[in-house]
Amino acid sequence: MSQPGRAGTGARILVIEDEPAIRLAVERNLTGHGFDVRGIDSAEGGLELETRFHPDLVLLDLVLPDVEGFEVIQRLRSRSSIPIIVLTVRGAEQDKVRALELGADDYLTKPFGVDELLARIRVALRHAAPSGSGPDPIFRSAELEVDLERRAVTVGGRPVHLTPTEYALLGALIAEAGRVLTDRALLQRVWGPEYGSEDHYLHVYMARLRKKLERDPANPRYLRTEAGVGYRLLELETG
Amino acid sequence: MRLMVGLPGWARYLAALLSVGAVTAVIAALGRFHLANASMLYLVVVLLAAVVLGRGPAIVSAFAAFLASNFFLVEPRFTLAVANPEEWITLILLLLTAMITGQVAAGQKGRAEEAEEHARAARLQYEVALLMAEPSLSRAVESVAERVRGELAVPAVRIDVVGSDGVRRATASAGDMDALEALKLGIGGSDVLMPRSSDAGADAPSRWMRVRPPHSGRRGARPLRLLRVPIRSPHGDAGEIVLAAPLESELDPASIRLLEALSPQLWAAVERARLRDEATQAEVARRADQAKSALLDAVSHDLRTPLSSIIASAGSLLQSDIDWPHDERRGFAQAIEQEAQRLDRIVGNLLDLSRLESGELRPDRGWYEPIALIHDVVGRLRPLIGTHPIRLDLPEELPPVLLDYSKVDQVLSNLVENAAKYSPPGAGIAITAAVTDGTLQVTVTDDGTGIAPEALPHLFEPFFRGSRARPQSGSGLGLAVARGLVEAHRGRIWAENRPGGGASFTFDIPGNGTAQ
Repeated sequence: MSQPGRAGTGARILVIEDEPAIRLAVERNLTGHGFDVRGIDSAEGGLELETRFHPDLVLLDLVLPDVEGFEVIQRLRSRSSIPIIVLTVRGAEQDKVRALELGADDYLTKPFGVDELLARIRVALRHAAPSGSGPDPIFRSAELEVDLERRAVTVGGRPVHLTPTEYALLGALIAEAGRVLTDRALLQRVWGPEYGSEDHYLHVYMARLRKKLERDPANPRYLRTEAGVGYRLLELETG
Repeated sequence: MRLMVGLPGWARYLAALLSVGAVTAVIAALGRFHLANASMLYLVVVLLAAVVLGRGPAIVSAFAAFLASNFFLVEPRFTLAVANPEEWITLILLLLTAMITGQVAAGQKGRAEEAEEHARAARLQYEVALLMAEPSLSRAVESVAERVRGELAVPAVRIDVVGSDGVRRATASAGDMDALEALKLGIGGSDVLMPRSSDAGADAPSRWMRVRPPHSGRRGARPLRLLRVPIRSPHGDAGEIVLAAPLESELDPASIRLLEALSPQLWAAVERARLRDEATQAEVARRADQAKSALLDAVSHDLRTPLSSIIASAGSLLQSDIDWPHDERRGFAQAIEQEAQRLDRIVGNLLDLSRLESGELRPDRGWYEPIALIHDVVGRLRPLIGTHPIRLDLPEELPPVLLDYSKVDQVLSNLVENAAKYSPPGAGIAITAAVTDGTLQVTVTDDGTGIAPEALPHLFEPFFRGSRARPQSGSGLGLAVARGLVEAHRGRIWAENRPGGGASFTFDIPGNGTAQ
């Protein structure tokens, strides 16, 4: 059991959410976890506060009283690359995809648990942090191990052979480990910028990758489907 | 002219002979006449006979003129012998000229009548087309029946139209009581459809049948006969037009053709009505579906918002990596309690709405002090509505009013929550109240953007969300439930835009024994 203040290491978080009850609960929890939190209930207020508070991450509700959340993403993106996590509701998959394509880093579906919230915030902050020594050459998640320099993949110590496209797809997911990638983003990173709507390529390769990496491809541990949005590679504890 | 055509055949021939006789008498009375001049007079008679009486009488009058001039004018008189062979030539020429003139004139007359008939048919079809444009099929068919009755001057007309699916679409009749009774009798009761084309044969002719009015003993009642003209459609018979006409009358073939020409129009109108009905039903189903999914969307959003903070607060309390200080723990627990109460109010609204719609909700009234009620609502809502300051503009005290406490509490809560939802963060909300003649009147005003004028009439409809609403910002149930609850108290609720901006919602509760 840790003391308040340790986990968040003082990172500044701006919460733009107009539902006072949700905002208060999130603020309280994040403050307790050592983050420096400011909450605000409108888009314009949030955009203004961002310039003064200089947060390390923005938690943004897509439905706000004055300005649509999508516009807030665009306006934030036009001036900074600060991580943005949007709060949406179930069933609004199109909104999630649109928010991600506009530059949001991740999303949380209401109602969300606080552990999930903290995990997403940590992933987003880690990706945003400038890494001094370059990326870790070895990616590990539970039994999966990928040596990015030697392009060697093992599952539970057993080597797995991947085709170049399969490896490219896995590499794209490792580069954003823990974060969701939309179908379109994956297609463009792996197949090229002229791709975007050829979802079936992606789904076929994802199925092959799961067959090679997952113990139970129907119930994947690492390569998670985010229904209607894209895929996420989970970083699980090793050992 | 139409009148003369109406004469029986023999009368027309008699008229032709009489005119020739009359001219002969005139010539005889005037004394000596040259045969050539007399022939001219006869030609005039033949021409008139052709135009007025038709081809047959014209030929008869030509022969009569030939014989009359021979008998009365040509020497030796009073015999058919002719002394001067030249006069033979004159007589033959008279006969030939008379016959040709008669033929040509009668032909012209026929064409003129045909043109008139076409014009009449075109006019009737045009008028019927106008009448059929009426959206209600039964009213349209009724006016067509009336129009046909006027056009043909018959005592009664009945029109039955049947859709291509065999279902009767409309029935209408026009005419006087007796004739209509006879018509009904003749058809065999108003509920019996005419035989379909399979029974009657697709080319079953229009046929007359004789009926006697049920009250034929009465003065003015007379035997009638019915003419049934089938309405034809590409799929067989589509009903019929039935005429009741006096027994002795004769409907000219042109009128029957006229009726038959109405068939396609009537049928097309019926099909149009059927397609419109189907389209309407599909639209109704589509809208019901839309309303249902709008309700589900809205309700799930309404429920999820408090659930989100409950889950976040409870999850925080359960996290084992933090030992929350006492104040924080209390804060999470309070949030859980308040949001659970909000959930309860939403569920209450849903239940009330369904009870209001089924008419089961009855106010459970008691004498209550309105100011205490208002303080109660405001005290409970203040923590929930964020940054909106609530100003109370209340008198020192108000007399007790007979009302259902929990329902009026809910009305006021819904209005305050609505005001908070539709005004920008930080905008104030004011509540005023007064009691006049035992009637409580409460007004909630906000400093929001006001209500779009086109939205005002729909504000209190279930699931209506004004254009100033944000997407996914709630079910729009609150105002509908508020109206239902106020009306259950026999009160009124209304909304206005304030002159200085913002909206005001007012309801009154008559508390003076108007309760049931």
